[in-house]
Amino acid sequence: MSRPATFPPMASFLKGWFVVRRDLSRGRRAFLAALSFVLPLALWCFVSYVPWIWHPDVKLEVASTTERISAVFTAGNRLSKEFFPTYVDAVRQDNAEALKVAQAGESVSGAQRANRVLLRQLAPVAVSNGWLAAGSEQDDAAIYHLWREVASGAKTSTDPALSQENLAIVKANWSVLSALSADFDSKKLPPVPLQKLVPQGIPSNPVYLPPPHEVWAAATKDFTAKPAGDAPSMFDRYRHSLSIILLGFFWSCVIGVPIGVLCGVFDVFSKLFEPFVDFFRYMPAPTFSTLLVAVLSAHDAPKVALVFIGTVFQLILVVSKTTRLLDPALLEAAQTLGAKPRQLVMKVVLPGILPNLYNDLRILLGWAWTWLVIAELIGVKSGLTGFLDTQGTFRNFDRVFPIIILIGVTGFVTDQILAFFHGVFFPWSGKSGPVSRAVASAVTWPVRTIVAGARFRTASKTLPSA
Amino acid sequence: MSLLAPAASVSARFDRLKQRPVSLSVRGLTKHFESPRGIVTALHDVSFDVHKREFMSVIGPSGCGKSTLVRILAGLETASEGEIIVEGVPVSGPCPDRGMVFQGYTLFPWLTVKRNVMFGPMMAGRSAFAAESEAREWIELVGLSKFENAYPHQLSGGMKQRVAIARALANQPRVLFMDEPFGALDAQTRCNMQSYLLEIWKNVDITIVFITHDLDEAVFLSDRILVLDANPGRVREITEVPVPRPRSFDQIADPAFLATRRHIEHLIHPPGAEAKESFPVLKFSAPDPDVV
Repeated sequence: MSRPATFPPMASFLKGWFVVRRDLSRGRRAFLAALSFVLPLALWCFVSYVPWIWHPDVKLEVASTTERISAVFTAGNRLSKEFFPTYVDAVRQDNAEALKVAQAGESVSGAQRANRVLLRQLAPVAVSNGWLAAGSEQDDAAIYHLWREVASGAKTSTDPALSQENLAIVKANWSVLSALSADFDSKKLPPVPLQKLVPQGIPSNPVYLPPPHEVWAAATKDFTAKPAGDAPSMFDRYRHSLSIILLGFFWSCVIGVPIGVLCGVFDVFSKLFEPFVDFFRYMPAPTFSTLLVAVLSAHDAPKVALVFIGTVFQLILVVSKTTRLLDPALLEAAQTLGAKPRQLVMKVVLPGILPNLYNDLRILLGWAWTWLVIAELIGVKSGLTGFLDTQGTFRNFDRVFPIIILIGVTGFVTDQILAFFHGVFFPWSGKSGPVSRAVASAVTWPVRTIVAGARFRTASKTLPSA
Repeated sequence: MSLLAPAASVSARFDRLKQRPVSLSVRGLTKHFESPRGIVTALHDVSFDVHKREFMSVIGPSGCGKSTLVRILAGLETASEGEIIVEGVPVSGPCPDRGMVFQGYTLFPWLTVKRNVMFGPMMAGRSAFAAESEAREWIELVGLSKFENAYPHQLSGGMKQRVAIARALANQPRVLFMDEPFGALDAQTRCNMQSYLLEIWKNVDITIVFITHDLDEAVFLSDRILVLDANPGRVREITEVPVPRPRSFDQIADPAFLATRRHIEHLIHPPGAEAKESFPVLKFSAPDPDVV
């Protein structure tokens, strides 16, 4: 009897994932961390590319106008799956009527003009097949020739493939058209209505959930495109956003940290500042936006001020709380060692709270991003959010998603880097890993070398002379 | 219950001890606390003298105000009444001439061992170079030279407490207060630390006031033991420990050691007091282990 060779590793892989309050192994933790990003991405792909999961809409590839329904659709529009058959039926009824009129042979006033528009139905198909440059959808002469080529079979549309019904309509229309003129001539269009192409579409998700490849394409296009005229490039916008958030946060640290520390150390400052700060932070920062624009005029200043107002009050309260959390026994110990009040603050309180202060600021920097998004919409729209807002209005959601993701990635990466540097700056807090310890020792190496050299020189001077 | 008559050499030592000048003098110390239920008296009219280079322990039942007493002596709290005089100077607030070692180590986690020990001299305005060479000596005294560049979180509890002692001694205080310094250590480490402390005390000119709730520790370490009563804290007795020095752990079984220990135990928990509390006796069907 031979044991199955692959079974034991599989079994050991499945074992031990659910142990109450026990840390997983390094490999498993890394695997899960990767999975936590892969899973949402996979879900997005799944919903986008597997049609029977959701796809509640139909995205039009061939659109027709009909007076039987109140809305006007063009190729690329989305309409609900339920409504699509009604739309198709309406166009078919139009066609049946048009055939009747054509058989009667009486010319209809305005038919020539309507037919000219009707012929342009083929334009989106031609553009997506690359027969026609985007932007020349009203080039009637070229479109006229395309009708001939599609009808004769010289050109076959693959993207989208025209339905048999539509091919028949193209042929029928072309036989009518070719009888009058081989080339486009607005005077020689048929005086009776032609048949309209029947709407064709593919199942699609709503416009607000573009598939990943479209988002990727939009992102590469937006980030590599040369801006037209004075418009800022995406990197300019990114830099602008970063400068506003960093400037706002910088001022909020410069003002907030000293006040917070003073409130934490001296009860007099705590009682003097904190009640008002506590009240002020409940007034949402955006409510000051119009005021800030009025005072600081509509450039970067009100935006920076908004980020400042949004973060500084929280910062004061958080810093004062952190300061109060410092073990009072350390202060007592320092007092018995002869520290005066000023030395207590400078030599005990400040170094003691530094690691927690650093973490507080890290978390508050995350909050600052929230205020940035609002700040960039006040006064003159600018930066990433300005772009986001504009594209959102045009419902170009494939261009919106890259910006949202960029902001998220920036915040996340900054936070991770700052968290790593916590171990570098504060090796004594006992949370530093081997990498951050190595970086710390590399950074402090020159200082240590100089100090050691100075000490050696002093020591050699005090040695009895040889 | 009386103590055994001390050996002649021991009583001669105590005579000499009492001849020495008074280092710390406490007179009529009283401390009231305000609580929601009215004023609570934590200490009532506590008076005692500690002579130069004496090792005195303070012991008492829980809640007798041992910690309050030592915090007042160190200047971290103020007394309601009474006065404290250290080498002729009345105490008002914390001062480096009275060192303190806390139960919770209270090392500065952002400073290395050496920098922790340098803290006091630096506060006193000593140059970094002088403070550093002084600190090295104190670290050597507590046997941690190998760890002078380590951070506190890298040390064991016993090592941390040795650093704390070195840090307190680096200021060269007249009196060193120790508030249950070994309370958080395991039994093994605590024994080592007690020997260490006696060794240090032998080599350094210092008076120690040592707060503890451990009878063996008090008897093993001290010249005299101040026994406090609870509610309110009062001086019950100042007991002389008739165990000859130098001390070693072999003396734990000495008649003098045991008699002193029993004497103090009876002072803190008078015989018969336990009987006031009765525990319900539960009967289980398990057989007596000796029977099996």
